[in-house]
Amino acid sequence: MSDRSQLISTGEPFKFDQERDTEFERLIKRYPERESMILPALWLTQEQEGWISAEAIAYIADRIGTFASKVFECATFYTMYHLHPMGKYHICVCRTLSCWLRDKQAIVDYLRDEIGIEPGQKSEDGKFSLEEVECLGHCGTAPVVQINGEFHEEMDVEKLTALLAELN
Amino acid sequence: MEVKILSAKFDIEDGHKLEIAKQHGAYATIDKLFSMKPEEVIEEVRNSGLRGRGGAGFPAGVKWGFLPKGTGKPVYLAVNSDESEPATFKDRYILVKDPHMMIEGIIICSYAIGSHDTYIYIRGEYTSQVKALQAAIDEAYEAGYLGDKVAGHDFKLEVTVHRGAGAYVCGEETGLLESIEGKKGQPRAKPPFPAVAGLYGCPTIINNVQSIASLPFILEKGAEAYKVYGTEKSSGTHLFGISGHVEKPGMYELPLGLPLLEVVEKVAGGVWKGRKLKGVIPGGSSTPVLTPEEAKTVTLDYESMAEHKTMFGSGGIVVLDETVDMVKLVENLIYFYHHESCGQCTPCREGLGWMLKIIKKVVRGEGEISDIDLLSELCDNIEMKTVCVLSAACTMPVRSYLTKFRHEFDAYVSEGASTAEANQE
Amino acid sequence: MAEMIKLFVNGNEVEVEAGKNLIDAIGAVGIEIPHLCYHPALGADGNCRMCLVGLEEGGPPLVPACKTPAAEGMKVLLDADHIKKIQHDVLEFQLINHPVDCPVCDQAGECSLQDYYMTYDGQKSRMTVPQVTKSKKMDFGCGVVHDQERCVLCGRCVRFCRQITRTGELGIVNRTDTARVAIFPGRPLDNRYAVNVVDLCPVGAMTSADFRFKQRVWFMKKERGVCHGCSRGCNITIDHNREKDQDDLIYRFRPLFNEQVNGYFICDEGRLSYRDENENRLTEARLSKTTISLDRAVTASLKEFKRAEGIVILISPDCSLEQMVSIKSLAEELGAPLSGFSDGYIKKGDGDDYLIQDDKAANRAGLTALNIDSSQSAFEEALAKAGLLINFNNDLSLFYDESSLKKLFKEKRVIGVTSRDTKLFQMANLVIPVASFTEYSGSIINCDNILQTFNRAITKNDAPLDMSEVAALLGGPLKTNGDRYDKLKKIVVSLNDFNPDTIPATGLKLT
Repeated sequence: MSDRSQLISTGEPFKFDQERDTEFERLIKRYPERESMILPALWLTQEQEGWISAEAIAYIADRIGTFASKVFECATFYTMYHLHPMGKYHICVCRTLSCWLRDKQAIVDYLRDEIGIEPGQKSEDGKFSLEEVECLGHCGTAPVVQINGEFHEEMDVEKLTALLAELN
Repeated sequence: MEVKILSAKFDIEDGHKLEIAKQHGAYATIDKLFSMKPEEVIEEVRNSGLRGRGGAGFPAGVKWGFLPKGTGKPVYLAVNSDESEPATFKDRYILVKDPHMMIEGIIICSYAIGSHDTYIYIRGEYTSQVKALQAAIDEAYEAGYLGDKVAGHDFKLEVTVHRGAGAYVCGEETGLLESIEGKKGQPRAKPPFPAVAGLYGCPTIINNVQSIASLPFILEKGAEAYKVYGTEKSSGTHLFGISGHVEKPGMYELPLGLPLLEVVEKVAGGVWKGRKLKGVIPGGSSTPVLTPEEAKTVTLDYESMAEHKTMFGSGGIVVLDETVDMVKLVENLIYFYHHESCGQCTPCREGLGWMLKIIKKVVRGEGEISDIDLLSELCDNIEMKTVCVLSAACTMPVRSYLTKFRHEFDAYVSEGASTAEANQE
Repeated sequence: MAEMIKLFVNGNEVEVEAGKNLIDAIGAVGIEIPHLCYHPALGADGNCRMCLVGLEEGGPPLVPACKTPAAEGMKVLLDADHIKKIQHDVLEFQLINHPVDCPVCDQAGECSLQDYYMTYDGQKSRMTVPQVTKSKKMDFGCGVVHDQERCVLCGRCVRFCRQITRTGELGIVNRTDTARVAIFPGRPLDNRYAVNVVDLCPVGAMTSADFRFKQRVWFMKKERGVCHGCSRGCNITIDHNREKDQDDLIYRFRPLFNEQVNGYFICDEGRLSYRDENENRLTEARLSKTTISLDRAVTASLKEFKRAEGIVILISPDCSLEQMVSIKSLAEELGAPLSGFSDGYIKKGDGDDYLIQDDKAANRAGLTALNIDSSQSAFEEALAKAGLLINFNNDLSLFYDESSLKKLFKEKRVIGVTSRDTKLFQMANLVIPVASFTEYSGSIINCDNILQTFNRAITKNDAPLDMSEVAALLGGPLKTNGDRYDKLKKIVVSLNDFNPDTIPATGLKLT
């Protein structure tokens, strides 16, 4: 795991849009303690903005009424939270055991060559970002790729070529 | 070999929808449930011999019995749907294909343990699954199976889905509780056990999705009917995930106790591409590997696995063919567990990173024999010195590869990386 | 008396206090269990794993001592080979990514990691792969400087800010071996007790900007003291050193545990008040801005007494009981009214619900006990009638601004008996230097009516006199401490048993 603690500041104040605001208020009633909203609020932020800025973390902390350090801890501990903007298509390739056994490396290599970025990077045009992630729980249909949250199972270069063509 | 108890409705079109599920018997046990006393429900589950399907295999009914009585505090049920152990992918079938079976199970369990609040902790990676699950819960609320009066009975039950966000360690039950409380998923020291002081400091039962989903069958058909399947000490069926180098990987429901190799052969189509078997990981990546020789005699139950010095785990079977480079596999394993170490306890936090750097050095062909010995020693130095078992989940399998396939590691040292790789071809 | 229980450590029976964890219970009888994350003020966290001990018979074979209550009959194993190996192994894990740059580390000499290495490890490093690198010299605010690489992630600092100050500025971000202590950007440490994290830090990760690299800890001498920053009277350790050809200087105050006064901590203001002991000190007597000897100053004072048409004596509420009684007797001898007027010492609303008090006077309770009037009206009326004010170190400038002071002192002669060379005392006609509170022994009563004594910690090259001695030189009848105690007992009923030797170090709650 690389250091995730270098937050990015947008310079703009953050707040939930109407939809997330309503959802936040709905969810907070489901927990006896407000701090339970830290993870859901981070998710709402990511849904809204695609990533989580320093301002958003401060907003969440103040909205919940907790320390910014606690929200900061969670944002950096849980690796699905994006702490910088991702590409329009965020591609996650599972790198763990069963996918590794069924040649996830071919998938990574192909994407690297096609898009021209290393895992952890974003393409210059902002269209793609690539990430190698830990087990996605689709080991029986390995190797698996997740694009913007959608699963693509039993991947191979041929399927991937078609998929990329679709996205392009 | 396959049986369909838990997976009975998996193949029904739209079986995840309440209306269809009901036509196939969903929520049929509710009236029977409320005619029973909670103790009777616990007794039935205890008699069924149902063991926790998350990996630890602790008897579910016994676990429920640990709840202290009359504390005046609410009792919580947390359903563990983190399913984060590599090679485990069974629970999501329930979440997507028959979520109402699990919700029914939640009602049964809640009634038995006197809980009115359930939190389902689902791993963040399960994006479409969480939507399917939430949709089913919404349906159940709409139909009155959840809410102030469960199916018209004087029993209140709220169910909330809580999403993880990428942390293996939240599959550990107290890491999971911390995560629901809005903290980093760092496991708690035990005692106190969650049954005494769990979520928000209150008595809490944490059960795996599959364990919960097994309850409707047990309640409907009775403990004896459940025990028809499996062995004496490992009763019932299990959703096995078979992955890796087999012709037909996938999720299969099987009674416990079947011979491992027969299952690999007959159910999963055998080792792919006509290759030879090199090893089997029997229950998720944290379980020690079995050599083909050992695999010959092992059966898919808790006891046989223990006799073979490995574990039943989560039932995630991984088949390794003859081309697998065990050194690189160990690198992949250590990478995972190091990445997922919560960073709390010194030995795991610092030790797994050290192990990763050493194995990488070996893989690069720069290792020495002393590095391999050091790896082995570090396994001993880390294991069981920590709050939770994440460290052991790494060191137990790593030790098994170092012991059973030591020559491959030595080859990386004596022959250099390229030669060792060539040997794998 | 706490309930005692018997248990076995390495087969030897020991009697320990019930209700404590193994670290504290066994530690109290002199058997150390190494630990980094546990701190009695912050509770057991159990993350460092240094305190794992063996239990024979029953229970899990290996338990963290910090989380294990001492129990009757327990058989604790500390010296078994497998326990020693764990201690060694855990230290090895702590050290693999540690810079091990003790020679340039400010913590050297008071570092748990360094000490434990010497005791439990002592092996050469087996780390042949690159270390984890992190940030260094980070400004965390409030004068706290953090080095992430030296940190052992015990989390004491984080727990302090969450549990004690409830300000929560610190967190441990990331996970695995990239975990590190951090502040949220733009929200640095912002509480009045922040520097306690430096003391809490068992290693050199948290350092004080004020102290770092000023002095090697092994050169310093440590004395017990009582902070005079407010009426709490927090117990402190005074770290001082006299470098070659220099005067004895204090380098820092650190909190000293006293359960009934301050617990384990002190406030940052009190901590930094050591500077006043070093700086802006009055070192020589002055008559009309001309330096004179002490003898001449005394003679000049006595002349002033004779000349004066009415004398009023003002006393500082920081004075010790011994000084107060000496000055009170002097006042009686001179027939002068005595005032302890010090409203300026009270900063309304400045105190909190923890340690800091509104009242910045160290011994106001002493004034009350000795029936010394402290009202503004009485002081001002007495002064109006008098020609001479003798001010024993009372900082009137806390109450009166400069022009009010000028008005107050108009056509008055002023003698200042003081440790501080401040504007106020520069207005006096004659000043006599005296020792400050780290330089004399004495007793004070704090805001909770707890009597505490302290001894002289610092001896300056030209050590100024204790105020009691000056009072005696000026004609006060109490010449010795014996005289002073006798008089004290006569005035203050609750001090009937007053004997500085029998007052416990933790203080005596007066009734």
